[in-house]
Amino acid sequence: MKRQQYLIRKISWAFFTIIFVLILNFFLFRILPGDPARSGIHDPRLKKEAVEAIRVRYGLDKPVINCIAKINPVEFGGCLINPMDTQFFIYVGNLLKGEMGISYHTNRPVSEILVERIWNTILLIGAGQILAIIFGVIFGIFAAWKARTTIDYVALLSSLLAWSLPTFWLGIILLFWGSNHGLPIGGKATPGMSSMPWEDQWIDIFRHMLLPTLTYTIVFMGEYMLIMRSSLLDVLSEDYILTAKAKGLSTFQILKDHALKNAMLPLVTIIAINLGFTVAGALQIETVFSWPGLGYTIFESVNRRDFPVLQGTFLLIAVSVILANLIVDLTYSYLDPRVQAES
Amino acid sequence: MEAKIVEPKAPTTSSLFLDFWKTFSSNRVAVVGLVMLIVIILVAIFAEQLARYDITTSADITSKDIYQPPSEEHWFGTDDAGKDVYSNFVFGARVSLTVGFFAAFISIFVGGLMGIVAGFYGGRVENFLMRLTDIMLVIPDLPLLIVIVAMTRPSLMNIIFVIGLLGWTTTSRIVRSQTLAVKSRKFVLRARAIGAGNMHIIRHHILPLVLPLLVVNAILVISLAILNESTLAFLGLSDPTRLSWGQMLNFAFGRGAMSAGAWWALVVPGLGIVWVVLALTLLGHGLEQVLNPRLEFHHLMPGRPVVQREAGNVHSFAEEIHPVLLEVQDLSIHYVTEDQPPARAVENVSFTLHEGELLGLVGESGCGKTTLMLGLLRLLPAAGQIVGGQVDFMGKDITAMSEQELLDVRWNGISIIFQGAMNALNPVRTVGDQIKEAIVKHVALLPGDKVDERVVELLDLVGIAADHKDHYPHQYSGGMRQRAMIAMALACNPQVVIADEPTTALDVMIQAQILELLDELRKKLGLSIIFVTHDLGVVAEMCDSVLVMYGGVMAEYSDVDTIYNSAQHPYTQELLKAFPDLSKPEKRLASIPGYPPRLDNLPTGCRFAPRCPRAIERCHTEVPDLHILDKNHVASCHLVEA
Repeated sequence: MKRQQYLIRKISWAFFTIIFVLILNFFLFRILPGDPARSGIHDPRLKKEAVEAIRVRYGLDKPVINCIAKINPVEFGGCLINPMDTQFFIYVGNLLKGEMGISYHTNRPVSEILVERIWNTILLIGAGQILAIIFGVIFGIFAAWKARTTIDYVALLSSLLAWSLPTFWLGIILLFWGSNHGLPIGGKATPGMSSMPWEDQWIDIFRHMLLPTLTYTIVFMGEYMLIMRSSLLDVLSEDYILTAKAKGLSTFQILKDHALKNAMLPLVTIIAINLGFTVAGALQIETVFSWPGLGYTIFESVNRRDFPVLQGTFLLIAVSVILANLIVDLTYSYLDPRVQAES
Repeated sequence: MEAKIVEPKAPTTSSLFLDFWKTFSSNRVAVVGLVMLIVIILVAIFAEQLARYDITTSADITSKDIYQPPSEEHWFGTDDAGKDVYSNFVFGARVSLTVGFFAAFISIFVGGLMGIVAGFYGGRVENFLMRLTDIMLVIPDLPLLIVIVAMTRPSLMNIIFVIGLLGWTTTSRIVRSQTLAVKSRKFVLRARAIGAGNMHIIRHHILPLVLPLLVVNAILVISLAILNESTLAFLGLSDPTRLSWGQMLNFAFGRGAMSAGAWWALVVPGLGIVWVVLALTLLGHGLEQVLNPRLEFHHLMPGRPVVQREAGNVHSFAEEIHPVLLEVQDLSIHYVTEDQPPARAVENVSFTLHEGELLGLVGESGCGKTTLMLGLLRLLPAAGQIVGGQVDFMGKDITAMSEQELLDVRWNGISIIFQGAMNALNPVRTVGDQIKEAIVKHVALLPGDKVDERVVELLDLVGIAADHKDHYPHQYSGGMRQRAMIAMALACNPQVVIADEPTTALDVMIQAQILELLDELRKKLGLSIIFVTHDLGVVAEMCDSVLVMYGGVMAEYSDVDTIYNSAQHPYTQELLKAFPDLSKPEKRLASIPGYPPRLDNLPTGCRFAPRCPRAIERCHTEVPDLHILDKNHVASCHLVEA
């Protein structure tokens, strides 16, 4: 019963947040001065008819939403029109159909570009996140177990240092080093690789992934280590650890059977809170290594002023983070039996 | 009795600051961070004086100057435009720090305001503000920053405002929870009661207590703002007229420094960012330790080695009907902390436990009872050290055992029922599982279903139905948890069970049930029990013998009748007066004025002398010996002499 309520609360909260993001995403691109209507049509050489044609093509001639005809500068009116004939609801309707507009730059549908690229981001974040968690947890356990020894201090200082590194700069340094040691300087695959056997293609992708993943791991490992360390220190000073020790369990058994699961719980929360940073990290890494994921797409579309792509990518990233957050919350409720008891 | 009355001095701001500075300056991490930060701030302030070239002009620069390696004229080499990287670096510091500090100021102002308003006013306002904070926390901020900056003009002002206005979420959360905590404190309620207005309370009572937390948070916010600015600049979103470190990296990376091998143009600006952020991180980490000191102690830290010392005066009782199980001789345990005199928590304690005996260990809180019990199994916290004495368990000295032998004795030979079973059971494992673990560890080669049978049998023994086996501790009531703890203690058929105040935090009815259960089990299973308590009534009812401790030493030790009928030590006598006697309901209860001594600052003579109603001159100067009064009776008091 209680778990059900918890699930319903979390799911409806995520739904509400997604709606907020939808609205934000729509108005952001119409309020700010660089909105598609003006930036695309600002060219003085364009004739008035041509401008109007473009406006019609992108649906910009319609009122923004009931009662607001134009938003920048604000122009009220048109409260009585059919809501389905306003820009906002057309945008929502199109989204529901999976349509996010056409790229200014390549003339391809935005959704097509995003579907192609999201997998690259998932591949990179997935690999980096798994490695960062594994190493962070291992080092964190060591630091907590050997608390107040040299091992602990070295681990602590290096994780503070890792935290202070700008992700893109670490990427640049590693890229500089890698390019002098025969590693590829960017992208996902060497051109012309598609005609090779699939093993060679995978090895090629692996070689391209090596440095981006390493950058990701270094940047995120430090924080996971710190969290693991402090959370394990908390757990290890709990009374039930003394009970376990009094039971005659060895240090290894106590760590494995009594401390780890409890100490992992805060880590799960931190992973959820950090999803925003995860995206920021991936964005920088993809840009440095020209890794064709969502982050690189943002970088490209900013430089090309390709607003439909920018808008679509931002929406996709925000919604993914909200959903990932939801998944972490739900996982947590299974890991910690106490969640059901909480009111 | 001498008592010095010290007027508590009201702390002045300057003395508070001095205290803070003293703790702060002893924290090396924080000092290093502060020095690093001051250095880079000075660089930014004195950029004009430090720069060696005018970075605003490109006169005198030829194509030969592009990407020149570090040299006498250009310490850090030159960049893609042939300009001096060192001079750019010095001016870049100014831009990066300006953005960082101003943006963080905005974030902290907005977040702090929202947090205080939400926490202080509560209700709908709080609900709305916190919901908004939650939403903003979930939306990834870098993509949002990029979108907004990309669609507006990327001037320095715009960047400062956008970073500042998106960075307030963490501050608002922290400030709100701190405000909530402070709001319900007594002095705020008192101020409200005498009619202080909201603004007055916020300014004079809440803000000062929220401030320290805000400072630590500010440091984090500044470093995030600097990182965000440099990332935006690296992505090409920065004020083209103000060269920051991020922009230097953008130019170098985008304009061929990599292929030209010009590492200096890539390394130097990055090191600037690392320097500032690391300085802030170290400072924040150090401050956090100063403001929120935390004992980094845990139960798996290696303990201090046992100091072996010959046991001196041994008091085993002459008459021994039952064989001796546990004999503690002259056991002394100290807590050792650096630069401080050791706390002498237990000194020269001796007692004997026979088969089937129930020994009551009595004394006020903080007199070393629990330390003594943990010492028996060498379960002391890392600072605790056995500095002398012996613990003979079935003919073997526990203080001399190897780690492996120790693991075998624990639970199998001597088990402990801890006080407060809520925390003594692991919250994320089922109760049955935790009992099973003990059996599997000590009883070799038992088939799986036999173990489960045994768990059910044990639970049945303490009156818990078998279907509760797979429940978690939080699903148990307080009394059930304590029963489960007892079942767990009995899992391996130990010879000795230590019950360390097993009934604290339980209500009176449940207390009685648990005690009855213990007594019953003892008779049924022939257990020897050491029962730690401060309830003399329970002792009188159940125990065979009583050891009274005061301030870490034995006050009196004898069989239960002797203690109740002819106690010799004034402390025992006072304790007895403090407990109700049902046969004399008209008797007034007496309490002992004062507190037990601090173990790191013990009186010179008898430890009880400052509170003793019968103390004589000698009691304050000379430590009393243990006097054997009778074959079964010892007391440490000058008054019983002769």
